[in-house]
Amino acid sequence: MARTRVEQQPAATGTTLVVMVGLSVAFLLFMAFLNVVKSGNLLNESNLLYASLIFYAAAGSLYLGFGVTGVASYVRFASLATWAGLLANTGAVAHRWYEAGHPPFASIYEMLLSFVWTLAVLTLIAEKKYGVKVIGTVTMPVAIVGVVLMQLLRTDVHPLVPALQSTWLHVHVTLAMLAYAACALSFALAMMFLIQDQMKTETFLAATSLFTIAIYAGILTRFEKWGGLNVIGWNPEQKSEMFVAKGMRLFVVIPELGWLMLVVLVAVAAPFALYLAFRLKEDENFLAIANRAVFVSILLQALSLVFFLLRVRDGRYPSLDVDGLFPTSLQASPFILSGLVGGIFASLLYLLLLWRRQDLERMLPSSEDLDRITYKTIAIAFPLLTLMIAAGAYWANRTWGSYWSWDPKETWAAITWLVYAGYLHMRITRGWRGRRAAYFAILGFGVVMFTFFGVTYLLSGLHAYA
Amino acid sequence: MAGSLARASRKFWQTVSSIKTGVILLILVVIVSAAGTIILQRPVTEPDEMQRAYSPQMLQLLDALGLTDIFHAWWFVLLLVAVSFSIVAASIERFPNAWRYVARPYKSTDEIFRKALPNQVRLAVRDEAFAIAAAERAFRRMHLKPERVTSEHRTSLYAEKHRISEFAVYIVHASLLLIFLGGIVDAVWGWRGFISLTRGETSNQVQMRDGSTRVLPIAIRCEAAGQENYTDGSPKKWWSKLVVVDAGRDTLRKEIVVNDPLVYGGIRFYQSSYGMTGKVDKLVLNATSDKAGTQEISLNVDEVAQLDPDTTVKFAEFIPDYVVRDGQIYTRSTQVDNPAAHLIVESRKSGKSVNYWIPAIEGFEQNAASPYKFEPKDLKMAYFTGLQVSHEPGQWAVWAGVILMGLGLAIVFYLVHTRFWATVVHDANGTLQLWVGGAANKNKDVFEHKFRKLVEEIQSELKQQKETCIPEHEHEPSLAGVGNR
Repeated sequence: MARTRVEQQPAATGTTLVVMVGLSVAFLLFMAFLNVVKSGNLLNESNLLYASLIFYAAAGSLYLGFGVTGVASYVRFASLATWAGLLANTGAVAHRWYEAGHPPFASIYEMLLSFVWTLAVLTLIAEKKYGVKVIGTVTMPVAIVGVVLMQLLRTDVHPLVPALQSTWLHVHVTLAMLAYAACALSFALAMMFLIQDQMKTETFLAATSLFTIAIYAGILTRFEKWGGLNVIGWNPEQKSEMFVAKGMRLFVVIPELGWLMLVVLVAVAAPFALYLAFRLKEDENFLAIANRAVFVSILLQALSLVFFLLRVRDGRYPSLDVDGLFPTSLQASPFILSGLVGGIFASLLYLLLLWRRQDLERMLPSSEDLDRITYKTIAIAFPLLTLMIAAGAYWANRTWGSYWSWDPKETWAAITWLVYAGYLHMRITRGWRGRRAAYFAILGFGVVMFTFFGVTYLLSGLHAYA
Repeated sequence: MAGSLARASRKFWQTVSSIKTGVILLILVVIVSAAGTIILQRPVTEPDEMQRAYSPQMLQLLDALGLTDIFHAWWFVLLLVAVSFSIVAASIERFPNAWRYVARPYKSTDEIFRKALPNQVRLAVRDEAFAIAAAERAFRRMHLKPERVTSEHRTSLYAEKHRISEFAVYIVHASLLLIFLGGIVDAVWGWRGFISLTRGETSNQVQMRDGSTRVLPIAIRCEAAGQENYTDGSPKKWWSKLVVVDAGRDTLRKEIVVNDPLVYGGIRFYQSSYGMTGKVDKLVLNATSDKAGTQEISLNVDEVAQLDPDTTVKFAEFIPDYVVRDGQIYTRSTQVDNPAAHLIVESRKSGKSVNYWIPAIEGFEQNAASPYKFEPKDLKMAYFTGLQVSHEPGQWAVWAGVILMGLGLAIVFYLVHTRFWATVVHDANGTLQLWVGGAANKNKDVFEHKFRKLVEEIQSELKQQKETCIPEHEHEPSLAGVGNR
């Protein structure tokens, strides 16, 4: 029933091309603003990173392009692009390692570098070994967001403070990256399982809409001030956030951006409201409008991203706490930025599903296989998570004399572990298969992301390095 | 009455050992710990920061509910104990089932089992002894150790691998309990504190987190300590040369750095910080008088130096960052930003004492009256090395638990308990058949390949024996029921 309702668009319509081209332009603009191509040595780290970004982006758009046109050979090229991106990424990791004299795990920038590398490797393994050809549709966007975030975070090599000079640190972080990449893979596989398991397209519509609502509601509740957007000030000389007093950050208000975000919130909420109307009235017309609303919301989201980038980059803004005008930077708001980019990707993935579901289903392994591979990835991730926590505890014990301090990062790592432990128990003793297991895998990855990013940026603690 | 009691206790046991209870408890732990990361926690957060973050009523409420120190609250410990009980009960409840695989392995098959087993094949054979021998060789070639089981009228083969896989879950659960045990031991008998030492200082007093002092049975002396910097000025290494003084004797000597503690008698000393005490180690002065000329003296606080037979100078006071307010001298910080030294010059004969200040602070100094003029040459500040001291008697249980858990998880996920059977049976028409069956407790898809390989080996063995063998198609290895735990 769900299938018949899906609008199957003719291949490569004018509109989709416009969207693709428009997004690439927005993206290139964005990158140009970040001055990623720096002069100097051709094979320096930032150039290598930029190369890997281009290849990953190419891989991502080829996967998307496959979605739009249904041409199977795109997937092969996408896989080639992933290889090329991985090569450049490996170069960047090696360069960093050589320059810093320690494996690149010491800051969130270096960890992202390693994370993206691991993700690309696992994507290729999943593709070659398990035949999950389109896994990159989900993992490549994650890799792209990762590389873009890296451009914003500090890149100069920092010497390690005494507490970080330990082999156990490398063990701990390597395990963490491997475990988190495996979790990301299990998330992608679980999503694909849901597609293959005949989950209704409109359910994905509701989920996408809720996800974007959460992003914008989160940004607005945390940062909105009188129609403006309250972001942290940035000191360009010291390359650090500005502080009013010790521990109190200086916030500057970018006017009007709050209103724009509010409009976008309404736009991303519209598909969900229409979905509810569809469920109540059982009228398919609502669904057709909802799909158009997703399209509109993508345009508005892209608009808000571009405005956010432009306003943050130039201009000085007043603060509510201190007189004067202060600059800010994208580096000061990685949270907002990754939220905006993530929202656009989620909505685009929904469009891909909406238009090309049958091709996707043809390309994917059977739902039983996906279910099994999801479990297998978690069976790899869980021991890695365990060892990661153990190595971290051992390191903390050598450094601070205490193996467990209930620090937020530690606690959330334990929560992640418990969630996956719950998944395994439900699967093994209760025989949870299919949907419920897939939901659990998705929840698990959500917790992983919160542990990785959320704890670093929202909660404070001992784990201040990353 | 007794019956109802037994029923009630059985019901209670079923509830405690159920997976549902376990999962509900785990969800509770998750919610509570998540709350503990969002609500600011004492004593990690300073009291004034707590007051800034919450309104007084709110803070009172949070304190009263124990939400400001969740991870040390009695109810949180109770929750963890409940989780432990649930794990123990669930394991006890399920253990007999696993034990059966070991105590009474199912070696010779019966008709019902042979019908129901998903992985099986029937091969036509001529002679029972030949068929069993061929199967035995094939088993061996698959690195299995077949065992001949002879019942009253038939011989069959049985082989198994990785039986321990059935126990892996209990290993993991036991390891978790071991970790909990270590944690509880440390929570009850362990402690953590801080010692700060300057060079040459000896101490056995540990400052505890709650402000109290713990006296150690041994003392620790710092012979030297220092910091090495990167070229950009950020600290690269902190080190301290420590000596353990036990019963008046120096018993252990070690240079510690961050990440490499000194351990003595279960007490661990960690390098945790290094910095200025705000106190003077040495002040070097040029003292000049008309009569005696210039001499260099070096003083510590409260130290007295003889300048000439009649005159002494005492280093009375050091103020690292002075400011004069309301006719008083204060220090703003312990940083040496604006130092001042107070000297007292005394003349024995006249009994006169003069306050000498470097620099001259108006209203306090009587520098002009002093027979000597002092000129500062060098100021060496005393540095302290900060040592974290801890006693964690339970940590060995924790590490043992961690290792056990790693092992257990490796077995849970990667070792499969596989069992194989082979026996000669007659089918409904009375023809002789070699029945081969296999079972695995997980990874059933991989197992199917293995099973098929075994069957192929048996077939080739049977061929070599010039036995005719025609696999019956209706009994091809079944692909139905492929699933995975």
